[in-house]
Amino acid sequence: MFVYEKKLQYPVKIARPNPKLAKVIISQVGGPDGELGASMRYLNQRYSMPYDELKGLLTDIGTEELGHMEMVAAIIHQLTREMSSEEIIRSGLDTYFVDHTAGVYPTAASGFPWSAASMAVKGDVLADLNEDLAAEQKARVTYDNILRLSDDPDVTNVIRYLREREIVHYQRFGEGLRRAMDRMNEKNLYIVNPSFDRG
Amino acid sequence: MKTKYSAEERWRLGGLPDPAPLAAAYIPMQESVQPQYDAGKALSRGTLFPGLDLPFMNLVNPELERTPMTELMAIDFVVDELELYLDTHWEDREAFELYQTMLGMQKEAKERMVRLCGPICQTDQLGMDAYRWLNGPWPWELCERGEG
Repeated sequence: MFVYEKKLQYPVKIARPNPKLAKVIISQVGGPDGELGASMRYLNQRYSMPYDELKGLLTDIGTEELGHMEMVAAIIHQLTREMSSEEIIRSGLDTYFVDHTAGVYPTAASGFPWSAASMAVKGDVLADLNEDLAAEQKARVTYDNILRLSDDPDVTNVIRYLREREIVHYQRFGEGLRRAMDRMNEKNLYIVNPSFDRG
Repeated sequence: MKTKYSAEERWRLGGLPDPAPLAAAYIPMQESVQPQYDAGKALSRGTLFPGLDLPFMNLVNPELERTPMTELMAIDFVVDELELYLDTHWEDREAFELYQTMLGMQKEAKERMVRLCGPICQTDQLGMDAYRWLNGPWPWELCERGEG
C-alpha cells in the first residue's frame, strides 16, 4: 500500500523555461537509467528476496525513486511552460510536442518510450543486487551528463541532489550485498540461489 | 587502536575478511552515522554523510533558503537517509536513537506545516472544517506551498 505525500523530497523551482533542456532531462523520467525504471526494478525485485533487510532496502529505495520520478517530472513540467510555437521548433522539442504537447511522457531523450526491457528482475539475490549497483552507477553518469549540458542553477541544483542520491544508494546496495553474503554459504557463495532454493 | 581484527570484526567494521572471497563484489560497510551534516546542509548536499558526499567536478549546492517547507523537507530527508542506513545497520543503537529524535522533530515540523498550508497526507485532515486536499499549489507547480 502506498500513501501520497503532497510535497517533493527536494524543492523544484525553475524560473526560466527551457524546452531544449527538457528534451534531454526527460530521459531521467523514462529513459533506460531513469527514475521510473529504477523504481520498478527495486519494487519488483523485492518479492524474490529471501532476507528481511533486502526486502526493506528495496522497498525504501524503490519508494524514494518514485519520489525522484516526480521531481524530474516537475523539472520537465516547469521547463516546458509558456512555450511559443517558434521556441518549440527552435529547441528541437517539436518531435516530442507533436505527440505529447506539454505533458510529461516517460520516454528516453532519443524518443524510445519507457520499456521494462531496460531493467531486470532475475530472481537471484546476487544477480539482482549486482544489477542494482550497476543501475545506480548508470543513473549517476546520466546525471553527470545532464550537468555537462545545463547552465541553469535552478536545474543543476536539483540534478546534483539526485545524482548524490545515486551514490548513497550504491553504498547501501553494496552493504545489502555484504549482509546477504554474510548469510550465504561462506565456502561457496554460488552453491545455491537462496531466492529459490529453500531450506 | 587495535591492529589485528578477527574475520567477523573486520567484516563488521568494513574491512575485507581474510582472505576475501573471489568472484564477489565488495563494498566496505559504512562504520557509523558520525560524522554527519546538520539537516539543512544534508538536504542541500543530497546526503547526511560527508564520507558519501562525492560531487561531480567538486561543484556543490548552496544551502536552500529557509522556509517552513524546506525545514520540513530537511527533517524528512534526514529521516529517509537514516532509514536506508538502518536497513543495512539495524543493530546500530546510536543510529536508532538519532532516528527516534528525528521522528519526534518530524512530527512537530509536519504539524506546523499542516496548520500553515493544509494537509500533506489526506489523513492530516482529521478535525478540519472542510475538504482541503484539493487546494493547490501541487508539488510540481512553480509556486511552493506556504509562499505567495
